[in-house]
Amino acid sequence: MEELFERLAFSVKEVTGFIYPNEIELHWSILIVVYPYLTGLVAGAFILASLERVFNVKEVEPTYRLSLLTALAFLIVAPLPLVAHLGHPERAFEIFLTPNFRSAMAMFGFVYAWYLLVVLLVELWFEYRKDIVVWSKKEKGLKKVIYLILTLGASDLSEKSIQFDKKAGKLITIIGIPSAFLLHGYVGFIFGSVKANPWWSSVLMPVVFLFSAIVSGIALMILLYMVITLFRRKPVDMSCMDKLASFLLYAMILDFSLENLDFIHRIYESEESIKILYQLLISKLFISMVVIQILLGTIVPMVFLAWTKLARLPDELRRLIYFGSAILTLIGIFSIRWNVVIGGQLFSKSLRGLTTYKMELLGIEGLLVALLFLVLPFIILYILVALFPPWKEAEVELEA
Amino acid sequence: MPQQIKYLFGLAVVLVFIFLIVRHYLVSPSFGQYGHYRAASLQTVVSQEIKYGGEIACTECHEDILTLKNKSYHRGVACEVCHSAAYAHTQDPYEHKPPAPRTRAYCPLCHGYNPTRPTGFPQIDPVRHNPAKPCISCHNPHDPTPPVTPKECEPCHTEIARTKILSPHAPLPCTQCHEAKEEHKLNPRVALPSKPRNREFCGQCHSQEAESPPKILQAESPPEIPRVDMKSHYSGFLCWECHYPHYPEARLKKEEETE
Repeated sequence: MEELFERLAFSVKEVTGFIYPNEIELHWSILIVVYPYLTGLVAGAFILASLERVFNVKEVEPTYRLSLLTALAFLIVAPLPLVAHLGHPERAFEIFLTPNFRSAMAMFGFVYAWYLLVVLLVELWFEYRKDIVVWSKKEKGLKKVIYLILTLGASDLSEKSIQFDKKAGKLITIIGIPSAFLLHGYVGFIFGSVKANPWWSSVLMPVVFLFSAIVSGIALMILLYMVITLFRRKPVDMSCMDKLASFLLYAMILDFSLENLDFIHRIYESEESIKILYQLLISKLFISMVVIQILLGTIVPMVFLAWTKLARLPDELRRLIYFGSAILTLIGIFSIRWNVVIGGQLFSKSLRGLTTYKMELLGIEGLLVALLFLVLPFIILYILVALFPPWKEAEVELEA
Repeated sequence: MPQQIKYLFGLAVVLVFIFLIVRHYLVSPSFGQYGHYRAASLQTVVSQEIKYGGEIACTECHEDILTLKNKSYHRGVACEVCHSAAYAHTQDPYEHKPPAPRTRAYCPLCHGYNPTRPTGFPQIDPVRHNPAKPCISCHNPHDPTPPVTPKECEPCHTEIARTKILSPHAPLPCTQCHEAKEEHKLNPRVALPSKPRNREFCGQCHSQEAESPPKILQAESPPEIPRVDMKSHYSGFLCWECHYPHYPEARLKKEEETE
């Protein structure tokens, strides 16, 4: 109890203007920042994978399987921040057992289950089935058992069967694109539909979330592909990198335009909340929004990426720019999530005062747990990559 | 049918079947009987200890107080808001006496000055308002309109008063611009005070032709009053379309000051 008072006493000193008592401490912590960040990376990575399969962008093929595995690794972790924040993980299944169709939050379980079970796992299964069947015959010990279970008994490797896998995979990718839009659009919808909060309540929110998700997904894949290639001591496929960087630039331009449209719309509307939102922007969110999100996370990478398009730069320099831009973009998108989630709770509903967010270090809602949820997908990805190597040379070639 | 579809479909059927079995055992049979909740939970709620008696129970013995309260400004405040949960009192009136707050700390919970409370809601500064005097010595909680109504406007219009006190209009009494009948203090929303209607009203002090210093300023050294040519100064507009009368920002321009 004393610790609670101490924390409250600290926050009270940071309050400016008038604020209601229950608004001094924030209810949604950094874990709720991590949650949309992770789902955004899932949706972005999947949409990138669909480029190769549905839109026939052959240059990005080296990242196709890796994108799917990355989407799966991040999707497995995506609901964990929510469960940790809410507590009582044993109750999490209630949303499936007694579905409430009138609650947007309760519907997340179904959006998630659809995306995991019907889209991602099935697509990966069709993509890897041929390889899994061959591995189940070649490998030994535990690996053999795992592969055998994963074949689900479907061991037919005839030409007709392989062709069917490809067709089915393409069909699921086509279903997957709107599903990925739904998954992350849904997260934006949750915030956009909070009509009592002027920082969140905007119909553009799901669209802005979606495009920022695509941006973060592409940036993550650029980063992962470069790092993994480095560790594998293989040459980086520059045509793939150039294509990924182009898509990153286009997605960023769209995302930045939409965000600006949202801002201009708010400024032009100038509702009664505009003064406190302006105060919020120039005080509490100045570093995270103006400096990190807009300047470092958007404008700097956009300028550098545009430079690689306009000038003929050597491969080495281009790789360096892509690498730096991807890191800056990922930090920028994280600050978007931070500014939405934390920023939306920093001002009073009376529109007359601001509070502050004091992050814990060790608690269940603290920084270390958030970092764990950000690192966990990479550990899962490591295991997935070990089980299902996504490289071209690891793919099984069937004898004619 | 391709082999893959057969096995995948089989797995899906098995998963759905397992889900239905789990659901059957984990969801209470009474779930959904009345709405999206477990109907048996009503029984759990009913079996909880009752704490509130409700206002109807109070009427049975305290009708005179209720009659008085229902005519007063506290008609919307339930008895148990001040006297706390009183079910036990309704069961055994002599054994359980509900508390009646008598200290100064209680009433400001609602009537202490707070800028987010609506204008016109009676608010006081607990430090300055009759210090150390219990509220009930002037206000009957069951009919809180004081026997002597406020002489000043501040108790109800605190936000305006606090704004005005920082402005160049601080020396002016409210009645300089608003004519308020006595009735306004008793029925504030029925007998509304008057407001200035034309430019000439402000011109009494701010036109170039106005006497200097105006008689209304009783101070010995009145501040310099900004003056304008009422004919040429935005003649199509009313003064308060640009200047907020409780905090008029108009100041002499620097060049005019230097002249």
